[in-house]
Amino acid sequence: MIKRTFTNLDIDLYEEKIDNGLSIYVVPMTKVNNIYATFTTNYGNMQNEFIPIGKNDYIKVPMGVAHFLEHKVFESADGSDPFSFYTENGADANANTSNYRTTYLFSGASKFNENLEYLLDFVQSPYFTDENVEKEKGIIEQEINLYADIPYWKVYNRIIFNSFVNNPIRYPIEGTKESISNINKEILYDAYNTFYHPSNMFLIVVGNVKVEDVIDLVKKNQENKTFLKPYNIKTKLIKEPDEVYKPLDIIEADVIIPKAAISYKLNIRDMDFEKIYQYLLIFLSIKLGPTSKLNNELRNEGLISNAIDYDIVYTDTHILYFISIESYEPEKVLDRIKQEMNDRNILEPTFLRKKKVLKSSKVFRSDDIFAISSKINQDLIQYGKIRTDIIPYIDSLNYNEFQKLLNQLDFNNTAQVILKNHLHSNK
Amino acid sequence: MNYQKIKTDFYNLHMIQTDKFKTISIKVNLKRKIKKDEITKSNMLINVLFDSTAKYSNKRLLEIETEELYGLKYRGSNYQSGIYTVMSFDIVLLMEKYTEPGMIEKSLAFLSEIIFNPNIKDNGFEETSFKMAYQLMDDYISSLEENTPLYSQIRMLEDMNDKAVFAYRSSGYKDDLNNINRFNLYQYYLDILANAMVDIFVIGNFDTEKMQKTILKYLPFKSKPAFNESHFISYNSIHSTVQEYIEHKNINQSRLVMGALLKDASDFELRYVFMIYNYILGGSPDSKLFKHVREKESLCYNISSTHQPLVSLLIIQAGINKDQYRKAVNLIKQELESMKKGEFLEEDLIKAKSTYINSLYELQDNEDSIISLYSGIEYLNSDDIDTRINKIQKVSLEDVRKLANKIYLDTIYLLEGND
Repeated sequence: MIKRTFTNLDIDLYEEKIDNGLSIYVVPMTKVNNIYATFTTNYGNMQNEFIPIGKNDYIKVPMGVAHFLEHKVFESADGSDPFSFYTENGADANANTSNYRTTYLFSGASKFNENLEYLLDFVQSPYFTDENVEKEKGIIEQEINLYADIPYWKVYNRIIFNSFVNNPIRYPIEGTKESISNINKEILYDAYNTFYHPSNMFLIVVGNVKVEDVIDLVKKNQENKTFLKPYNIKTKLIKEPDEVYKPLDIIEADVIIPKAAISYKLNIRDMDFEKIYQYLLIFLSIKLGPTSKLNNELRNEGLISNAIDYDIVYTDTHILYFISIESYEPEKVLDRIKQEMNDRNILEPTFLRKKKVLKSSKVFRSDDIFAISSKINQDLIQYGKIRTDIIPYIDSLNYNEFQKLLNQLDFNNTAQVILKNHLHSNK
Repeated sequence: MNYQKIKTDFYNLHMIQTDKFKTISIKVNLKRKIKKDEITKSNMLINVLFDSTAKYSNKRLLEIETEELYGLKYRGSNYQSGIYTVMSFDIVLLMEKYTEPGMIEKSLAFLSEIIFNPNIKDNGFEETSFKMAYQLMDDYISSLEENTPLYSQIRMLEDMNDKAVFAYRSSGYKDDLNNINRFNLYQYYLDILANAMVDIFVIGNFDTEKMQKTILKYLPFKSKPAFNESHFISYNSIHSTVQEYIEHKNINQSRLVMGALLKDASDFELRYVFMIYNYILGGSPDSKLFKHVREKESLCYNISSTHQPLVSLLIIQAGINKDQYRKAVNLIKQELESMKKGEFLEEDLIKAKSTYINSLYELQDNEDSIISLYSGIEYLNSDDIDTRINKIQKVSLEDVRKLANKIYLDTIYLLEGND
């Protein structure tokens, strides 16, 4: 067991890798009542071409399999229902799927041992039948419909789709009505057996626990189960060009205020991903955040009323950051954003102020078991390691390096999506 | 955790001492009777006050100042609480141990600037700020329709009883917005400062005496009304037959919303039994609605019920395909009936109770929820945590069945989509 301390945050992290390959991370916090546990596999929307365990050839699975699996892992042979179990213990249970991973979780202040044991057991005992797979399709179809009616999701899905050419990240995590109709129990077992091996998973526990108790419990639980030897999962390497799939797209939709987004696709091969990520966040905050000159001007001119939104997604080869807005004159706003992105002169005091805020934000989030857990999860997925020295790391970011990096990046590959109704088009 | 309530001439100061957090949260609540035609104004006021002040003449300068204050979080909001509305001003700051000495005082000065030193020109709010706040408000009201779950719920409540406080649109109204200008909004601001009931909550690890003095210095309220009337209200008039409304919209998924009223409930029923009833019916992924309508029939992805004890209201909502409308309504009605017949188990009751008790433990991990706990005690005469645990244990199966028979389905609303 290794113990590390989050510098300046008064929090300890314990980690242990057990024999079957499962990694365990525990952050004990004595001042809180609650306990939050998450069990994650490195399997998400993006890994859709792989060699199933025990087989020799690549298969390509329909879009939405990781998410479909997430729903079906809650089934069990004896008909017992995880939700029912957890509510009985006064705990909340849930699961979610991203482009990169699938996570099963619970939180609850009492009966922790039982709760944890159950989490490991239900995730590690799949039970897929033709009937229960078919039944789920109706539910997921309604979930797809739900997202389809949220204008923000329409823009989000389209901008990602149009920005990438080959990477499966371009497809919606939940799949489409058509793609999920092709999912069957054989596909689910192939994906499950390949990606839910303990060596491809990790467990994070944060809250009012004793570290040794957690580790002992997990060890004993895992010793009673048999797994194949840890092995190397083979997923297909994807060749992704720097150019976007479709630079401009206008969608008709029943919206009151038009929505739009612009993305920037940056090639990051052979670069320090973590550094780029942090510097980009600072850059975007300076350029587009509530303290930015642009935001102030656009508001003054009546072009936007809400904040400019931005987010980052990444693949092995590219970072994509995209900026979303709401405006009655979306084209105008997108043009102004483009202009602003080309001006990379930033004053040092502004950079230093952002560093200060970034550091504070880490302290703000360090009382919250959910925030701590999600940071650890994000670090593991994003960088493959947990940065306990995040505060000194932010301190080490420097203005010259920042400027240099900004000038290295190629901001020319962009995609734009505009969502508006026919009335807006006639304007 | 140590709680202290100090009554001053013009407000109550609630101080909660705890070493659990690295932050200090301060909440200023201004409480008034809710009036439908003031909702928009009240929202506008928050927008204007948070857009600029006399010292920080635009939003950008205001935001830069919060960054100088180590990422101080600040927020204004209005929320409805039965027959009252509460305007809240919140800040959250880091303990000085993580920033530098003097930051508590500077942060309070910032809060003070927002509340007491607005950006005024010739007896009205400064024009640019007013315009921006107006635009934000206008867009916000317009986009309500894009949020189909919220929109369909509001529409159902308006069909049910558009005079009831629960049907007031918290987003505000376009017609009211048209009548607001920078001058009458300023008059409204002065009226609020003079005629709201003020409560200030502070939680964190701080020097109590020093904090009290700093608050006195920076938050010089002079308002003195007292409202003694209960927050709770119930509407007993129910339509003789269940009403049905269908509205069409160009969306994929149809939204089904059903509204029911709880009649003649006792205080204990409102505070405890109603919650358990709702939990068993549709308040969790283990509920009757979730299990029978989603899992067994796979009619929907989301289905749930929510209860609003302050107004004795129960709402059921689901996202469905339009051809499943009748089927879904019938299944939900069956579940309401089965609740009346007492078709639930001791086990369901235990689950509901342990979830509730667990949530009481959990809420103590978060400053904001601890403040909510104490504001509930102040405003709603809520019980403290120990009493709650005690009382929830007393709820019996028979209590839940009895309450189920006081629930009257009143209105069914469908926002019909294309699929």
